[in-house]
Amino acid sequence: MASTTEGTATAGAQPFDIVATYNELLRSDPDLTMPIAAIEALVLLLTHEPSSTISETLDLLAKSTEHLKKAIANPIGLSAGTDLFQRYLITTLQRPGQLGPAGDFKAIRTHLLSNGRLFIRRAKESREKITAFGRGFIRDGCTVLTNGGSRAVASLLQKVADEEGGSFAVRFNVIYVLSSISKDIEGPSGEPEGMETVRALRAKGVPVATIPESAVAYALGKADMVIVGAEGVVENGGIVSRMGTYQIGLLAKAIGKPFYTVAESHKFVRLYPLGQYDLPIVQQVVDFKTEEDIAQQSKPQAPVDSNADRPVELPLEDSVDFTPPHLISALITDSGVLTPSAVSEELIKIWF
Amino acid sequence: MPSTATALTPGLSSFLKSLKTNPIDTSIENLVSLLKRRQIRHSRSCATATAYLLLRVISACRTSESVKLIERVQSVGRRLMAAQPREMVVGNIVRRVLGLIRDEAEDDRDAEFALSEAGSESQCQTPRAYDDPSLPLDRDMLGLRAEGSERSSRPPLTSMFSLLSHPEPENSLPSTPGTQSPIGRVPGHGLSKDVRAEVLEGINEIIDELGQVDDQISAYALEHIHSNEIILTHTSSTTVQKFLLKAAAKRKFTVIHAESFPNNHDSTHATVSGNSTGDDENLSFESFQKPLVALGITVILIPDSAVFALMSRVNKVILGTHSVLANGGLVAAAGTRVIARAAKVHQTPVVVVSGVYKLSPVYPFDFDSLIEYGDASKVLPFEDADLVEKIDVHNPIYDYVPAELVDLYITNLGGHAPSYLYRIVSDHYRKEDISF
Repeated sequence: MASTTEGTATAGAQPFDIVATYNELLRSDPDLTMPIAAIEALVLLLTHEPSSTISETLDLLAKSTEHLKKAIANPIGLSAGTDLFQRYLITTLQRPGQLGPAGDFKAIRTHLLSNGRLFIRRAKESREKITAFGRGFIRDGCTVLTNGGSRAVASLLQKVADEEGGSFAVRFNVIYVLSSISKDIEGPSGEPEGMETVRALRAKGVPVATIPESAVAYALGKADMVIVGAEGVVENGGIVSRMGTYQIGLLAKAIGKPFYTVAESHKFVRLYPLGQYDLPIVQQVVDFKTEEDIAQQSKPQAPVDSNADRPVELPLEDSVDFTPPHLISALITDSGVLTPSAVSEELIKIWF
Repeated sequence: MPSTATALTPGLSSFLKSLKTNPIDTSIENLVSLLKRRQIRHSRSCATATAYLLLRVISACRTSESVKLIERVQSVGRRLMAAQPREMVVGNIVRRVLGLIRDEAEDDRDAEFALSEAGSESQCQTPRAYDDPSLPLDRDMLGLRAEGSERSSRPPLTSMFSLLSHPEPENSLPSTPGTQSPIGRVPGHGLSKDVRAEVLEGINEIIDELGQVDDQISAYALEHIHSNEIILTHTSSTTVQKFLLKAAAKRKFTVIHAESFPNNHDSTHATVSGNSTGDDENLSFESFQKPLVALGITVILIPDSAVFALMSRVNKVILGTHSVLANGGLVAAAGTRVIARAAKVHQTPVVVVSGVYKLSPVYPFDFDSLIEYGDASKVLPFEDADLVEKIDVHNPIYDYVPAELVDLYITNLGGHAPSYLYRIVSDHYRKEDISF
């Protein structure tokens, strides 16, 4: 609520910049996921643009979404949010009732505008639900291997660690795979993603081992299961996640360890990637070069940026990969423990 | 009262007989101890006993409030499940009954909303009232299956959209007793008294389903068994038997039967003397094989150790099961995993026949805890006392078979891929009942 009113105050003359708003939202709250930030950005957009008809609103949303997707290097997560928002609007309008066609379009508008905070709160609550479903997976004496900086995984592990002394008291070990790519780029602290969770877990008395990505195959023998997070869960039940997740999945399959994914159901996205290189993002992970190319690149290059329509490239430290569904044993979501094939059904429910 | 129970050999039939005369608490005690002593042990017997007991519990319940009914069933259910956690069908039946009560309670509420809506436009009518007003009326005509699919069409509005939905539903949605109770109490007894009758009827339907399940499954037999095929099976479950018999009426094929040594082989030896019958699900091998032989089917009995050797000649493996889990895996008689694995190596399709009542919403977090260990003397008789002292003898009764080793499940609802079972689970059990 607070931000909504604040937003309208500052609106004044300058046009609303959805991309800046989205980035600002993500920066201001480290707990916010990309889909929720996208929904929030759209809510703020609607407060700024006084559209009173349905088609005007939908048109505005479609345009802004398009713009936002173009401007962000990795639009997979946010498109889950924008899709959900758009489908919610359309479905509510089609449904008979107070908010439907017979009713007042303003009613649904005000509902969406006035409940921005509520959506965020619910999104965070969904992590609590995941914890409730996921708790059973972590048994006494087991070792969990995980990677990346997923907040859902972190909250699950910390919650289980918190249970000390209670009826669910569980002693478990964690093997944390730390990425080597992001080490020197990530912020001033210069520490890899996930270190925060490692510290938090160690503070709670959970023994944590940190290993480089190259040691995953070696370490998997000591692990009982793999639990990873996801940026987006695609239609076939596969996940788009931090670079390195795919290889962990392959190794877990080869060694015969269960591979679980923790993701909120608002991360389900209508995308059907056929392979690693089929994702709607540009990332130069495999970059062939000769000496000549390197020499050319080291020269300053100004004029190239003139083409604004060029898709934004995903920096190497944010690169993602796609883990196909056959490697995933189960998805732990806020709507229960699902098999990968259940994802398409959830998506069909909102789209058709 | 115990005298009436112990007069008969303890088991399902004696329990059902004593149920009519004994007071309700004695009956609960009775079933708990029968389950604990494993005197009722096969999935169907456990399911039937549970269903009849709950029928008695509900009809003896003098209250007509759904909340109280749920509490009562939950407390009885907890005791039964604690008595024998590995008989998952007990929990399944309890959950289905709970689901029935919740459904009826919600229907009542819907009906009330429909009434109150005409008068005043109350605020909290948002989600459920529009669900579908047609629902309460033709409810009784819908069979269990229709009921399931119709219920599953409801979540769409709550699942992914719940993030954005109107604030009010959030308060009334987690349909916990707390929110149900005030509404249940307001409108006199006329409406809510119906709940109990409806629930009793629902339980009777479940009991009917338990009786018909094998015939319903066998209706799919001709689609799966073709002429001159070689079928491999294991243990003597009635479900498999009826399935094969149905196909045998029309087609000629060969059945290879693994004897399932220490726990089921004695019924093999009964083939010779041929007089063991019981109220349990497993038939003696004689009654299993004789009708098949009578219909002109070649039946070959093999030891379990020969499964791999013969697998290359087998066209299809048909297995019975003890219970099926939400992730598509199953818990079945020991030796099943060996067969399923051998079938995988030879790319032989594995078909599992099982009633929906065996499908449990429990996710197998810990496979080892699902496996029960039986009487070690079946492996090594105690006459060999000096040997028994020197070695450890184990006799696991069940195997856990992971989902990837199964190609198809045939239930009374039809054939399903293992990855689709989650859907049937969500059709049959309420989310709030999965762990109670």
